[in-house]
Amino acid sequence: MSIVIAPRQAGQTANKETPNLRDCGPEGCDIDWLSSQRHATEVDDIVAFTQYALDQGWGDGLPLVPPTEARVRQFLSKNNRYADELICRLPPLDGEATVEKIAINAVMAGAEPAALPVIIAALEAMAIEDFELFGQNTTTAPVYPVTVVNGAVRDRLDIPYKHGCLGGHATRAAAIGRAIRLVMRNIAGQVPNVTSQTTFGSPGRVGGVVFGEWEERSPWAPLAERRGVAGDAVTVFGAMGTMNILDTTSQGGLEFVEMIGKSLGYPGANGFSPAMPFAEMLVAVNPIWAEIIHRDIPSLEDVQELLWRHSSLDADYLTPQHRGQLDAQGRVIDDRVYLATQPKDIYVLVAGGTGGLHATGFHSFGSCLTQTVAVLPGPELD
Amino acid sequence: MALGDVLDPSAAIANDIEGPGPDAGLLAGKTIGIRLDEIWRAWDWITELWATEFRAAGATVIFWRSSQGRTGTEGERIAAELEDFLGKIDIAVVGLANCGSCTGWTIRDALEAANAELPTTAVCTENFTELAQALSRRGGRSGLRLHVLPYPLNECERDYVDAVAREHLPGMLQTMGAALNVALDEAV
Repeated sequence: MSIVIAPRQAGQTANKETPNLRDCGPEGCDIDWLSSQRHATEVDDIVAFTQYALDQGWGDGLPLVPPTEARVRQFLSKNNRYADELICRLPPLDGEATVEKIAINAVMAGAEPAALPVIIAALEAMAIEDFELFGQNTTTAPVYPVTVVNGAVRDRLDIPYKHGCLGGHATRAAAIGRAIRLVMRNIAGQVPNVTSQTTFGSPGRVGGVVFGEWEERSPWAPLAERRGVAGDAVTVFGAMGTMNILDTTSQGGLEFVEMIGKSLGYPGANGFSPAMPFAEMLVAVNPIWAEIIHRDIPSLEDVQELLWRHSSLDADYLTPQHRGQLDAQGRVIDDRVYLATQPKDIYVLVAGGTGGLHATGFHSFGSCLTQTVAVLPGPELD
Repeated sequence: MALGDVLDPSAAIANDIEGPGPDAGLLAGKTIGIRLDEIWRAWDWITELWATEFRAAGATVIFWRSSQGRTGTEGERIAAELEDFLGKIDIAVVGLANCGSCTGWTIRDALEAANAELPTTAVCTENFTELAQALSRRGGRSGLRLHVLPYPLNECERDYVDAVAREHLPGMLQTMGAALNVALDEAV
């Protein structure tokens, strides 16, 4: 990054007393740490700026906050990160996601400065090669990364994990998902019919899906902790969307698990496609069912094994041509085909309201491996 | 309303190589590597017919079948296989870009072949041309050779696909900068 001496505004004083020299805050500074190109446009009129952003190819169609230098500096000044720090490169365009670029998109989305560590952690996780973001961002499928948040950061940012956690709960944290989606558009370069070939897309590609696990009501260890990261962490999962599972009949844990498992298995799921060598599955269970399931099936591994078996299909239920391709790949075992390669690839967590009655299934894109990364805030600032 | 500056939220583009790379030239005596995948039977049929013509012109043809599983241990295996495959061939024909993610992997593998200095041609279907070109450009090789087949293709019967293969052979050779014999070589 080239360092440019920025012209000082009339009446503005040098910010010499600022203890944090990484950025000089919203009031301006002696050294211009920001390298992004400046564009002159309307900055007080949200409607005019939103149209301008659309014309520039930056927008998603919803209102955007103009990322003025003052707003971006203010955002950065609340976080102790260098603006030019490269967090990751994001496919398909391999755009460089620097702290500055992430902050600009987060400002546009309306995110709070305190949300930056979660946004960065999620992007770091998505950039891990085994997450296969390249395929997710170019495919005909509607896939988008779902971000599950664990740890105390859920409450600090009001990330929803109870009623309406997948959409509907009013919170500033909704902007976290949108910030990630703007990064996908503006930095990764995921644009429908240009790079992304998505046939239908998904609402999750606009607002993103970021929710927490209701750890306090879960009989199991937090998802991230089970995956080796305790405390504040994000887990990203390449989801094809959300599938609701209603059960007003079952009473015991075995019945609930059977109902969930059987609901997950349908021929058009990516996990059964010859095009995908493997797939994972994420299941969000409401806290009422989770308690009953745990009472009747104490081991989570046993729950996963049962879900895995119940979500498998009789191979003859598929069309002969479909079965033939899976046969050729060695994926028909005792005349059954499986949604996930192994039971451990079916992840279970607790979330949702206390009304119970529903579970949510997230089928994976396949060929993408779920990733978990710690949320690491910078040092505390005043 | 007030004018002011906003910061650009988009990221930079990689450097670009605009040239197509070396021609395949006269095929006799050369080893042509054809990349297949696990999904598109139509691409198997087309390359089967093209391989017959290449062999008749004195070339050796070897096939390598990729998979969509480019992550984890499966991904490591595929990457090693690709490296081995590229080491054995003189000319690369890489397909088929016929869906979003498989266009991505087709172009990635083609870029790897082109970056290894092999005469390389990627093959896509019509509806994925723009994506293939965008990915080539963003991958730093906007000049990557790209041959376009009709779409839909995989949904069609064998007779139709064979006819497409025959019809597209001259154009494919032209895209490759290749010739089946000396006379054609002069023409190219």
